[in-house]
Amino acid sequence: MVLYIRNQLMSPYDIYFRSFVALMALPPPDPEFVLRGTSAAVHTLHFSCAGQEPDFPILFSGSENGFVHVWNLKTRRVDTALDGHGRKSVYWVETLDAKDRLLSQGRDQRICLWDLAEGRTSVTDSVFTENVGFCRCSLLKVAQGRWLMAMAAKSLEEVQVLELPSKTSVCTLKPEVGAKLGMPMCLKLWQLDSGSQPWLLAGYEDGSVILWNLSMGKALSQLVCHQEPVMSLDFDSEKAKGISGSSEKVLSIWSLNEQQNLQVHKIHKLVNSGISDITIRSDKKILATAGWDHRIRIFGWKKMKPLAVLDYHTATVHCVSFSDHRNPTERLLAAGSKDHRISIWSIYTQT
Amino acid sequence: MAVFDTPQEAFGALRPVCVQLTKAQTWENVAQLQARLGAVSAPALQELQEYVLFPLRFALKVPGPKQERLVQSVVQCISSVLAATCVKKQELLQELFSELCTCLSPPSALNKPALLSEELKLAVIQALHTLMHSAYGDVILSLYQPSTLPLLGFAVSLLLGLAEQEKAKQIKISALKCLQVLILQCDCQEHRHLDEDGAQQCGDLFASFLPGVSITLSRVITGDIKQGHTITVSAIRLFYQIVGLVMSDEQLSRVPKNKEKLSVEQSRISELMIHRGPDWSKSTAEKLTLLMHKIVESSSVHPHWKVKLELVELVHHLMKNCRQSLVDSFSHLLKALVGLVNDENSEVQNRCNEVLQSIAEQRIVAENRALADVLSENLHSLATALPRLMNSQDDQGKFSTLSLLLGYLKLLGPKINIVLNSVAHLHRLSKALMQVLELDVTDVKIVEDRRWGSESSYEPSGCLQKGKCQKKYFRFFTEEKVFQLLQQVCRVLGYYGNLYLLVDHFMGLYTESVMYRKQSAMVLNELIAGAAGVGVDVLHEREDSVNMDDLKGSITSILDEYTDQANWYLITSIDTEEVGTEFSVQHSELPASPGSARSSVLIPSSDPHLSTRTMNGNIWQICIQLEGIGCFAAVLGKDFRLLLLSALYPVLEKAGDKTLLISETAMGTLVDICEACSYDSLQCLINENSDYLVNGISLNLRQLAHQPHASRVLDTMLRHSDVSLLPLVEDVIQDVLSTLDQSYDNQASTFLRVLYSLMAALVQWFGTSCSEEHQQGQTAEWRSRTLSQVQQQQLVTRQEVERFFLDYVRQKQIAEGNLPDTDDEEADGVPPLAKPEPNNSDTEGETPLPSHAQLAKDVMERCIHLLSDRNLRVRLKVLDVLELCVTVLHPHGNHLLPMAHRVWPALVTRLISDDPLAVLRAFKVLCTLAQKCGDFLRQRFSKDVLPKLASSLLSQAPASARAGPVYNHTLAFKLQLAVLQGLGSLCEKLDMGESDLNKVADACLIYLSAKQPMKLQEAAQRNFLFFNKPICSISVTAAHNWSQKCEVPTQKLNPPSYLAY
Repeated sequence: MVLYIRNQLMSPYDIYFRSFVALMALPPPDPEFVLRGTSAAVHTLHFSCAGQEPDFPILFSGSENGFVHVWNLKTRRVDTALDGHGRKSVYWVETLDAKDRLLSQGRDQRICLWDLAEGRTSVTDSVFTENVGFCRCSLLKVAQGRWLMAMAAKSLEEVQVLELPSKTSVCTLKPEVGAKLGMPMCLKLWQLDSGSQPWLLAGYEDGSVILWNLSMGKALSQLVCHQEPVMSLDFDSEKAKGISGSSEKVLSIWSLNEQQNLQVHKIHKLVNSGISDITIRSDKKILATAGWDHRIRIFGWKKMKPLAVLDYHTATVHCVSFSDHRNPTERLLAAGSKDHRISIWSIYTQT
Repeated sequence: MAVFDTPQEAFGALRPVCVQLTKAQTWENVAQLQARLGAVSAPALQELQEYVLFPLRFALKVPGPKQERLVQSVVQCISSVLAATCVKKQELLQELFSELCTCLSPPSALNKPALLSEELKLAVIQALHTLMHSAYGDVILSLYQPSTLPLLGFAVSLLLGLAEQEKAKQIKISALKCLQVLILQCDCQEHRHLDEDGAQQCGDLFASFLPGVSITLSRVITGDIKQGHTITVSAIRLFYQIVGLVMSDEQLSRVPKNKEKLSVEQSRISELMIHRGPDWSKSTAEKLTLLMHKIVESSSVHPHWKVKLELVELVHHLMKNCRQSLVDSFSHLLKALVGLVNDENSEVQNRCNEVLQSIAEQRIVAENRALADVLSENLHSLATALPRLMNSQDDQGKFSTLSLLLGYLKLLGPKINIVLNSVAHLHRLSKALMQVLELDVTDVKIVEDRRWGSESSYEPSGCLQKGKCQKKYFRFFTEEKVFQLLQQVCRVLGYYGNLYLLVDHFMGLYTESVMYRKQSAMVLNELIAGAAGVGVDVLHEREDSVNMDDLKGSITSILDEYTDQANWYLITSIDTEEVGTEFSVQHSELPASPGSARSSVLIPSSDPHLSTRTMNGNIWQICIQLEGIGCFAAVLGKDFRLLLLSALYPVLEKAGDKTLLISETAMGTLVDICEACSYDSLQCLINENSDYLVNGISLNLRQLAHQPHASRVLDTMLRHSDVSLLPLVEDVIQDVLSTLDQSYDNQASTFLRVLYSLMAALVQWFGTSCSEEHQQGQTAEWRSRTLSQVQQQQLVTRQEVERFFLDYVRQKQIAEGNLPDTDDEEADGVPPLAKPEPNNSDTEGETPLPSHAQLAKDVMERCIHLLSDRNLRVRLKVLDVLELCVTVLHPHGNHLLPMAHRVWPALVTRLISDDPLAVLRAFKVLCTLAQKCGDFLRQRFSKDVLPKLASSLLSQAPASARAGPVYNHTLAFKLQLAVLQGLGSLCEKLDMGESDLNKVADACLIYLSAKQPMKLQEAAQRNFLFFNKPICSISVTAAHNWSQKCEVPTQKLNPPSYLAY
């Protein structure tokens, strides 16, 4: 009876609306918070949160106007803005161990090493890449105080690997003559465990992924994953499985067998095309993709089960990054977008 | 006067009268002696002391009944002799003493004062008093021997009887004074202090009287208030003096274990003597406790402050001297002391504080576990009784009860934690506080008072007052001082107590039930203030000041709880739009957090008809929480800046609340925060933290239920900041617009408010560039200016019109053939050319719009959609916003004109077929638009709007002509007036063509009739100002029409009635 009366009072629209609300028991997830103030599209992000108190967690962001912003995640404000790339877009930032030694790569064809200790903001060293592409570098720590850095070299198809901090060239990886791979688009240096030999996975303009042996300077395996240039890839050395994305509507998952051959493992279809960044979380359980459709997608890494679609941005998402907090429950996901915003999500608490 | 200086002379003078008196004991003889005595010097009299006293004593001793008058004069005479001399012999003292005592009681009825006249009694008492003072130190001690105990006892009982039973005040006081002398505690300075042994001996003696004395005195003290305070005061003094003497720790400690053996001849007496051993002192203390209880009960509420002061002295004296022996009474004594600490008499208060301070300084409580136990016991029983007392007592009683509570806590000081660690104690105490602090939530006004912020002009943010607590109304008391006491209670708790324990406990209560939520929030706020040492009044400093990290931790957790959705978004009004959204919060909330089952208790979602009571309660709840946030900020100072991340957004949200009380409180909180975090102004606070706010707004916009809150925050930000805010919020305004795009149907009114604030802010910030030569729209300011202009021209107008008619008549005569002689001077009646409108459209060129104008354009875009909303209120609001948009966009003609083009169809619909209210507003918008767009609108106006307006004016005219004075208050009238007022300038702005002007003039003409309401006449008349100058012919036609209609004979040039005012 009561229901009847209430229905009488409610317009059909109301009823529809209420049932709709009831259906949406779980509201779509919201960002934990959003960082604004880069005043330019954000191209790259890197967390540095492993420090103990009183160190505060930090997020580095590189944006199109050539600035690297250092965000204090406690106050959620910019601590410092580093201007070292002549107002040319910064598209890769990475730290060497501690948060006060930062590498940044910009469209001015330079990779800068910053000294940020004790409030300093000076470039102590830099590498001139002479490469005009967009390929992000890849960094791998091979020993205490020794790193390898892979970067696209001057000549279009080549990849050069340097040792840091000495900047000595370890090798230059040239594809076979007539391979027509195009430019390298994305790189991933990895090793099975510390001390073992390092490998490089490189995605190319023609849509293929190549596994390089650094010591021999030789391509071991090549796999054509996409019809379009590979925009991003990430690799899980434990499961010997990798994932790559391109401007197409698919994610390609491939694996590396004992014979060091790359094989297509699975093709995951997407609703909208275009993936600009892929990152597997350090615990290898989930991965995040940055989509041209303004959305961030979270998948379970094991079976590529879609877990969530994070919808906040109003323009292409350029990059995704997981934080390295010591305490897993504090860990965050950050996404930088063309809409000048960086959204920070708390994934652990939601799943 | 002393005539006889030598004993010889004196003897000579006194002898005859003494002899006479010895022979015949008559009153006259005594009087003679008395008279002679006056002439004898003191040294001489000393020599003759016994000689003179003899006949007097003889007169008393003569057996048989005596005249009272005689006895009285004899006693008076004795006392005058004694006053001038010293008693140097023990025997004399004892004899006199006993003789005087006998006077008071005939031997027949011992212990019972005889039925004597009051004068006599007084005389005897005074004589005794003088006697005691005239005896030398050693001599007087002879009276305090065990052998004289019966005599003393007799005197004491007599005096006590007098003090208790007499009616006359004077006698009572004298008796008490005399008793005081008798126990060697006289106030005057002459007395030698007793040495230890002497005192001990006296103590032993007085111990015998103690029961009698103390009981009688307690009866006197608790006796009728009408007896006067002096009696009570002296009785109290006497009481503590004798108790202090007999029960003194010092003396008791020196009392030997066993009773001394006295010699045989004294054995009878020794039976009377008391041995002050431990058993005796224990049982006496028990009995005294009872008496003390009675005394404290009655004296602490005595109306006269001197009694209270004496009570404080009592406590002080006994606490000083009898700390061990009377420990059982301390609960009563402390209660008295603590209860008086907040007495309204400042002297009592000060003395009380001094005493408390001395107690605290001596660390009597802090180091004495037994006392702390006593106190905590008292506290417990008080807490238990508190709710009952609060229910039954009047405000004064409540005040003293709470003073007591506060005093206990203060005295306990750091030992408070003993109490708090006991669950039962804490429970009692907190429940008592919960009940006492219950608010009165019946006031309907709280719910009804609304803030109509969006309509009102911008409040200058400079004149904001510092946030002070809103006056609260409590169920159980009304006086502010009671609340202040409670505040102190909480603060003292926070100051000394274990903060974690307390916060945890009261947070538990907060979440436990809605019943306790407001009170516990209040307590929590005060606890934090107290813990930080803000506004606490304590007796001694705590050992270690509070750890800042602990404080921060507690504050953070309280803050989280306060701003939790279930506790922050409460229903405070039955405003339909608001309730709708609040409900959806609840709906979406319930499944999301299963722990929030309590929220269903809070808001019974099945019953939308919330009682005023609930809403009032909710309002207070929010206010208290807001006050808390302000208090936390004050406590943390600059450290609070970090918490702004989570705290600022909710506060701003409430600052934009529609309930007046809430928004006021929130504004106060904001000012507090400004001050605490050392921001210069509210603007600074908002601007410097705009990133936090923008973040909150943008995230909340994503959820339907929170959209109103988010828009409210933005609203508040715009309201209280300046132009520097714009770049910071641009981003989020775009978010708002895109959110609005997704939900035109249900959220429009919410967002319109914020759009209105935005546009109003833009007009204010960029006002000068928007309207250099024009005022913004139809503001009052504009209207008044036009009015004054018009009034200035009034005279001119009148003349002009008159001249016009003269001309017209002449013309007509010419036309009819009546040629005058004069030549036509006005042949060159060429209408002056209309000034070319300054065209600012091409100044824009291709330059991009400044951001504020772009925003205005974006907003205008939305207005177009919303102009045809179903809801009238929405439409009205949209029209307001539209007007502001036009004002902002004005300097950017290139953009304004296309927008005007797009707005036009919707606006026309409003103008010609809508509710009169909407028409009115739409007309205002039209006027503003015409100011800005000029001839761009001419064609459209004359085609779409003018005919309708003119015809409606015409059709309304008969109605207004007929109507009475009440008509001035109708909507129709307002509409007529607005149209008439605006039409003239509108036509001028739009540079209307002749035929259109004719239409307008036609419509206006009717309103020139004297039958029309005055205001309409004026408005219509003013219109002619705008168009009769440039184009005379129109006016000519108009005038012609008018003259025909009104049938005024053309020859007669009397000014029509409307011109005669």
